[in-house]
Parts: sequence; C-alpha cells; structure tokens
Amino acid sequence: MEILTGNELMSGATVYLDRDGRWVEELQQARVFLKEEAEDRDAAIAATKKTQRINSLEIETVTLKDGVIHPDRIRERIRADGPTAPRFDRQHLDKDGHVSI
Amino acid sequence: MALNSVAFAPPRPDKLRALGIMALNGMFDEMDGVAVLRQATTDLLKDDVAIVSSFGADSSVLLHMVAQVDPTLPVYFLETGKHFAETLDYVRTLEAHLGLTNVRWLRPDPKDIARFDPKGDLWETDPDSCCHIRKTEPLDAEIAQYAGWVTGRKRYQTKERGVLPHFELTSDDRIKVNPLAYFGDADVNAYKTKHGLPEHPLFAKGYRSIGCAPCTTIVAEGEDPRAGRWRGLNKKECGIHFDFNGAIAKPVAAEDKTLFKDGAFIADPFRAWAEGDDPATVRYTHIPAKVYLENRDAVLANPHPNGLLIAPADKVETLANDLGRFASIAISFPAFGDGRGYSSARLLVERYKYQGELRAVGDVLMDQVPLMRRCGIEAFVVTHQATRKALESGQLTTVNLFYQPVGVTEVPVGTRPFLRRAAETETA
Amino acid sequence: MYRYDEFDAAFVRERTAQFRDQVNRRLSGEINEDQFRPLRLMNGLYLQLHAYMLRVAVPYGTMSSRQLRMLGHIARTYDRGYGHFTTRQNIQYNWPKLRDIPEILSDLASVEMHAIQTSGNCIRNITTDQFAGAAADEIIDPRPVAEILRQWSSLHPEFSYLPRKFKIAMSGGPHDRAAIRFHDIGLQAAVNEEGEIGWEVWVGGGLGRTPMIAKQIRPFVANEDLLAYLESILRVYNRYGRRDNKYKARIKILVHETGIDKIREEVEAEFAEIKGGVLMLPQAEVDRISTYFAAPDYERVNETIDVAKEKAADAAYGEWLDRNLHSHRQPGYVAITISLKPVGGAPGDITADQMDAVADLAENYSFDELRATHEQNLVLPHVKVSDLREVYDTLVENGLATGNAGLITDMITCPGLDFCALANARSIPLAQEISRKFQAPERQRQIGDLKIKISGCINACGHHHVGHIGILGVEKKGTELYQISVGGDGTEAAAIGDILGHGFVAEDVPDAIERLVEAYIARRETADEPFIAAYRRLGEAPFKEALYGAQ
Repeated sequence: MEILTGNELMSGATVYLDRDGRWVEELQQARVFLKEEAEDRDAAIAATKKTQRINSLEIETVTLKDGVIHPDRIRERIRADGPTAPRFDRQHLDKDGHVSI
Repeated sequence: MALNSVAFAPPRPDKLRALGIMALNGMFDEMDGVAVLRQATTDLLKDDVAIVSSFGADSSVLLHMVAQVDPTLPVYFLETGKHFAETLDYVRTLEAHLGLTNVRWLRPDPKDIARFDPKGDLWETDPDSCCHIRKTEPLDAEIAQYAGWVTGRKRYQTKERGVLPHFELTSDDRIKVNPLAYFGDADVNAYKTKHGLPEHPLFAKGYRSIGCAPCTTIVAEGEDPRAGRWRGLNKKECGIHFDFNGAIAKPVAAEDKTLFKDGAFIADPFRAWAEGDDPATVRYTHIPAKVYLENRDAVLANPHPNGLLIAPADKVETLANDLGRFASIAISFPAFGDGRGYSSARLLVERYKYQGELRAVGDVLMDQVPLMRRCGIEAFVVTHQATRKALESGQLTTVNLFYQPVGVTEVPVGTRPFLRRAAETETA
Repeated sequence: MYRYDEFDAAFVRERTAQFRDQVNRRLSGEINEDQFRPLRLMNGLYLQLHAYMLRVAVPYGTMSSRQLRMLGHIARTYDRGYGHFTTRQNIQYNWPKLRDIPEILSDLASVEMHAIQTSGNCIRNITTDQFAGAAADEIIDPRPVAEILRQWSSLHPEFSYLPRKFKIAMSGGPHDRAAIRFHDIGLQAAVNEEGEIGWEVWVGGGLGRTPMIAKQIRPFVANEDLLAYLESILRVYNRYGRRDNKYKARIKILVHETGIDKIREEVEAEFAEIKGGVLMLPQAEVDRISTYFAAPDYERVNETIDVAKEKAADAAYGEWLDRNLHSHRQPGYVAITISLKPVGGAPGDITADQMDAVADLAENYSFDELRATHEQNLVLPHVKVSDLREVYDTLVENGLATGNAGLITDMITCPGLDFCALANARSIPLAQEISRKFQAPERQRQIGDLKIKISGCINACGHHHVGHIGILGVEKKGTELYQISVGGDGTEAAAIGDILGHGFVAEDVPDAIERLVEAYIARRETADEPFIAAYRRLGEAPFKEALYGAQ
C-alpha cells in the first residue's frame, strides 16, 4: 500500500494527498492507494506536478494496522511527527498553502 | 455590381479576379511552357510583364523560351554584388547565345550599402537584412510598374512547392506566370540537352541552386537541389517577397531566430554538424573538434567559412594552432551543471586570443548567461522560452558587480587584485 | 574584522535583489522547481524533511556582536527562536518559509552577511582556525588572505558549476584546528628558506563515502601567487574532475585516480601560464585587508590565573577554566570556547536569547569579536584574564557555561534524520544519550581529550571518519544501525578511523562507547596519554575486543 507525500512550496511543510485530492498536513487523512490503484496514483502525481506547488513528491509504502497508517520507513515517521530531538512540532501550512488537485 | 463593372472594364489583371484566373490553368498542356509564356506576354499581360531570372543552373530553359517568344522582353537580373564571378560571366554568355536584347541589371542602392553593410559582411550576421537591401528593395521598386511577372519556379523544387499552377494571382492583384511549373529535374536537363544550352560554369562543380556566393553551397548527390541555398540558415527562401525564381518567400519566423547576439535574436547563419557531413565540403557548419582533429587537412583545405564545435571534454590546447581558421566557435553546454565550457571559453579568449564569434550552445538558461559573458562568450543559441524573453527584454536579473578579473577586458584597477567595478558592457 | 566597503555592500545587495526576483518567479509559476532548485541552492536554501533550511555563511568563522544579534533576530522573527552552528562555521535555520527568505537575506546584508555559495557545486565558505589572530602558536593570521579568497571565489564565473562542491580550509600555524587535510584544498601557513611567509598547499582531502587524506601539492606558495595557484588547481579540477558519477566527482577522486604527481604537473603547467598575471596579489592589497584584522587595542596587563586554586574554590568554574581556555598570544588575555554541547542538548544549537547574551559578552569583553568553530562551538577570542569570572557568570546565567571543550561530551554531530533529507539515521538523540551517560564532570576529566563525531549518513557531515571515536548511522531493514570506528584524527596527525566490526542498534551504542573508554583507561601508560595516542600505540585489537568480546 502506498501514500503520496511531498513538501508544500511556501512553507516547505510535509503534506499528504487525501481522498478528496487535497494536500493536507495529517498523515492519517492520507489516501491509501492499493496495488491495483496504480493508475489513480499516477494520475494524482501528474495532476500534482501540474500545480507546481508540491516539491519532493514521493510515493511511500505504508502498512495499515487497525485503520492506522504506519509508514514503512523511519524517515517517513519522522516527517509525519516532526523531529524527535530536539522535539519540535512539525511545520504547518500557511493560509495560502492549501493545494488541491 | 462587381459583375457589371467587370463586363465593361478593360482587361486589366485586377479585373480578372471575378472571372477566375484559375480558368487559365488547364488551358495549356502541362509541359508546354512556351505556350503559357506566349499567352501571358502577348495577351494577358501584353506589354506589362517582366521576367526575373537568377541566371542560375536552370535559368537557361526559361530564357530560351523567352528568346523564342520575344527576345526583347525585359529580363531582370539582380546584381547583388555578391554573385560568383561565374554567374556574371554566365549572364553574358546566355544573353549572347540566346540573343536576348533587354537584360537589365538591378543593383542595390549604394546609400543602403554604405549605411547597412559597409563592411560587406551583413550576410553573415543578418542574412535577412542582406537579402532585403540587395534584392527586395531594388526589385520591388522596379517590378512595381508591371502587372505581372514570369518566374522559373518548378513545383518539384522544394517540398513546399508540391502544388504550383501556370498562373497565379497574388494578394495585390498581380499575376505570376510559371511556365515551368510542371518541369522536373529530368525535364530541365533534357530541354537543356535538346536545345544545346550552355551550362552555368558552376553546375559541373556540383552546384544546383545558385544564388549569392556566400549563401550557396554544393548540393550532394540526391539532395534537394535547393538545399544548397542558405544552408544552415534554416530557411528555404531568401528574405524577399519573391526570390530569383519569383517565389513568394516567407519571412524567417521568430522562433527560427535562435541566435542571440549583439542584443537581438537573429537567424543563425550556421548549422550544426550532421551525421554524414563531409569535413572537406561543408560550409557554415560547426565542425566537431574531434572530426576536425581527425580530418585536419581536409578542413583546412575546405574553402568555405566554417565553425568549430567544442564539447566539454575537448582540450582546447589541441586546437590552438588553427583557431583563426574558424569564423565561429560553439562551446557546448550539454547540461546546466556542466561547467567545463567556462574554462574552455576563457582559455580560447584569454590564452589563445581567439577573435571570432564565441557562442554557447546546448542547455543555455538565463542564469548562466552573465557568467558565460564574463568568460568571453558573446552569442547564445537559446531555445528556453523564459530565457529568450529575459534576453529580449534585457531583464536578466544578475549581479553586475564582480570581484575577480576574468576575460580580456576586466583588468585590475590600481593595487586591487580584483577588478571591483560594475560590468560595463551589458548588451542585453 | 573585515568591514564591507561600498562595493561589497552593493554586491550583496544586488545578489539579494536577484534572489528576490528568482523567488518571485518561482511563486508566480514563471519558473518551475527544477529550474529554481539550483538557484536557491546557490543562495543556501535547501528543502529538508520538514521545511526549508537556510544556511548562512560566517566567513572564516568570524562575527561581530552586531552580526550575531542579527542572527538572533532572524531566529526570533522568521524561525523558531534558535539556530544551528555547523562544522563549516556556518549557521543554519531549520524552519524559514520561502517568502521570508528575501527578507532574511536583506536583513543579513544589513550586517554584511549573506548565504552566497553555502551550497551548490561551487567554492564554499572558506574556513579557518577559530583561534586565528589570537592563538599563541600561530605563524600568521590567515583571515586577511581568507577574506581575499572569499572575494576571489564569490560568484566566480568559471567556477560556479564545478563537478562538485569545493571546500577550502586554512590554518595559520602548524597546529591544525581547521581539519585542512580533509578539505579539497588545505592551506597551511609556512615559511620558506628566505624567511618569507606563504602557504603550504594540500589538495584532495575529504570525508564522505570515500575518505581521503589530502596530499601536499606544493610546499610553498607566496602570497602574491596564491590566487593564481588556486585558480590553476580549480581550473584543472573543473576541466578534468569526474562528472559521470556524483559520488566520484570531488577533487579527492581526481587526485586519487590520476595520481598527485600528474595533477601537480597539470597544475604547475597551468600556473606557469597565469603566474604573474592579473591575479597577482600585491603586498599592498594584503596589507590593506590586513589592517581590518589588526590586533585589537589590548591593555598592557600581565595577569594570570591559578586554575587549581580556582578549582578548589569553585569546582565548576575551575573545570570550565581548565577546559575552555586557550592560550593567547597577548599576555594577560585568553581565548574562550563557549560550548554549545550542554548535557542532553542538540550539539551546535543556540537560542536567540543566548545569541544576544554572547553578543553582549563579545561587545563587552572581547573587542566586539567572536568566532564559530568547526566543532560547533563559539569562541570569544580576546578576553582579559581579569574578566574571566564575569564572563563565566554570564555564561552560567545563560546556560552556556558547559566546561567540556575537547572532552567526550563535546561531540560533533550532524542534524541527522531528524532534519536532513539525506540522512539514513538520527544523530542528535544518540549524541544526547552519550552525553547523558558521560555527564559526570569527574568522569569526563578522567577520560581526558576524546573526540566523538557522529554522522547520520555516509556523507559524513559529522566528520565521523576523523573522530577518535566515530559513529556512522546507517539504515538496515527499517532500523537505524550505528557503525563505530576508532582512531580517526582531523588534525595535522591526520588519520581515518578504522571500522572494527558490525554496527549496533542505538540503545547499545552508549554502552559500546563505554567499553571502548574502559579499554583505553585500563591500558593507558599514564593519565596523560590521550585516547588517540593509546590507540596508536596499542592498535585495534584491545578495542575490538572491548566492542565485540574475545574472538
């Protein structure tokens, strides 16, 4: 299973593509693409690239446990929560940082 | 109303619009050029027609027909001042051989030459303007008095000419007559042989479509005969409204003007080296350094102006001895991040004193241009649209101050080790 | 300190305006990210895991109090109230927003600072010994020449698209505190047979995935020839450095693959062509720039301090004096290291308020001058011995009085996977655990000089190869693993550490370090034999056994 993630242009904040085609801060709202949804996923990537507003666009593999999304890579867990040490809150989107496809 | 006025008006060509000039087409046998010419000069355009001839390789056919119909018809030859000597000889040869009595030489206005092309090298930097002052201006003024003119164009000649009728109406209500419209290469040669017409002296040397000397090259066997004209200029017609053969010429499209030099985008007189090119005969071509090194004797014996293409890995030291032979050196920047060309440029200009045009080709983006300029590169082949815009508008955002002396013009001031002043020659 | 003249100021202003335009073009969609990326990198702006990161140059590590205050202002206004000092004497902000960057650069320009060439394949900020101009063992203050090199290398049109980044480090004396043998070019002040002062030139050092110790390419280059000589090296590198593989593109690989003799030949041939030309550096210019770095107006004092006595009275103060002072060329003065390595802290981090406090100290006690060190600390370079107590007390008030300079808890640590887009493993939490484990001052003192350096990936920003104990984080099957090496040395006794065996999970690393330390203490000849000397004498066997048990 996969999710799409990237960094929003203005703030650089970590964002995820949700089911409504919005790029949002919350990992748990991310749309999970199944293997057979590769076409949808690629279409979403293409549409996102067109916006020119999401950088470092990546496909991340995740595991679903009890409806909770767990990214497979440590890196992604850290991206989702913010740095572990020193502990900081993640970067948030500005008012004009909301991107939809 | 239109029909009424047509009925009573004298048969001026502009009135033939309603009748449909196309009716004339199809009245003649495709290959009967003489009949077409006779109709035009004795009926349709009687006493109001001129012949324009380039006195090129194929011109003898049409002129032979003219001699049969009426050797006193005015035949215009554009003496641009840039013809091969052989062409000028050939004008006299044909004139005498065919008994033409009204060949008129049109020369450019000396004032235009003095003003726009004092050094006679305009063809190199701006071939459009060269054509304009040497062809368009003199011919336009002369031809304006006629209701139509006869051309030697043939539909097979270029890809663009697949369709060409015997008679055409121009947008300004004048008539162009193309007696040779259906002639093929073989027909031309057969006609020449049958009538024992003298050849252009350069025909035997491989020239097929002969214009001004600087813009004409030999055409390879099997190549489109007109490929030899303006080779490398990426255009098939000269810049005038009609060329020697009378074709309506398209102006060079803006997107074809890819070379940025001296503050403007111009048509590039040079072309890139292509697979199968012969280093001994190419002209206006950037010969890759590697090809040049492997064929040095052939390149040096090649009489045509040529350039040199320097790839990032080429060692300019190995080229130092013959740099003066090349009118242009293109330094290739195949990728934005590959900075070897900057060193090559500095070495060429600073160490080996190269004086010709130094240009950047490849992935040229606006943010590199100021650095390239400082390293001695003065011309840029640009395809990136935003970069074109920035160059054209002169709005390159850059730092115009610099610390280190680079190039041949930046010299230290006083005791400073670095030149610390603004770049003074921003051309854009 | 160097002060911008009108030219320098205009240069940085133009550069700022240029970047403002580039940011606007990006925000308006006129250029895309692929086109913008190299432009922002040339201005020190990265996109990391959570946000943008802006790296600001501190040229040769020297700052005024006004500049540090501005760095604090930027941290407070545009970031989250802190900054992070790096191993290249620069400072990084982890949370700026794209639209604020032009303002930040503009603020920096107002105090004669910039972010030019803190990234990209160009000549990076030139680093030096943090005690330059103060150290007792120095032949010459390298900063005037470093400033000249800063100018020469700024937006150099020929060397802005090198095969890879290019780092130059300078040391003004034989004791190398700038790791010059691990830089692309290392310059060490030298005296030739005629007694002239010039530079011994080293080339091809580096860390990363292929660590190399630099080779000497020329024993002596006079000041007047230095620019021409460096330009020769850069030109040879620009033309012949590998561009087919970014991991083999540094000059160290060119030197390694071509051989130093051949490279020297190429450089000498180039040098012969341009020597004596426009790049000739007149002594008058060196003198002119040197006046900016003239020794401050020291008081004629001769006070000394009895550290033992102070220690008896106040252990913490005594400890701090013992570790964080550096002998000064001027009697009655010392240079002070302000440690940014508190127990459990993030190495190199400093808050905006702390920056203000340090700026005040510099203004009041150090002739308005301070330094950033490649070991991620700060230095007050010229402090009167008689002011030490006051300075210390202020540092204590601001949480900056950690007396651990050069000890086991004074670790170099890269930002690691908590921040960095390239990292494979976290570094900072590991450093925090190690510093907690060894936090007792007596324990640290017992161990003595020991440099631990931690990198979160093979790119080695944490200099792990040259740590007496080096730690490299890797990712294996979704877990962070740490490989330990021993015996590295970044000084003039340059050495690359030896990896002794398999890696450890994070929880086991502090204990593994402890075992190494115990092995050393058990075997050292005297309490004065440092870890690295003992390792050299003993070889790896006892340390390997300490880590992995008897084989």
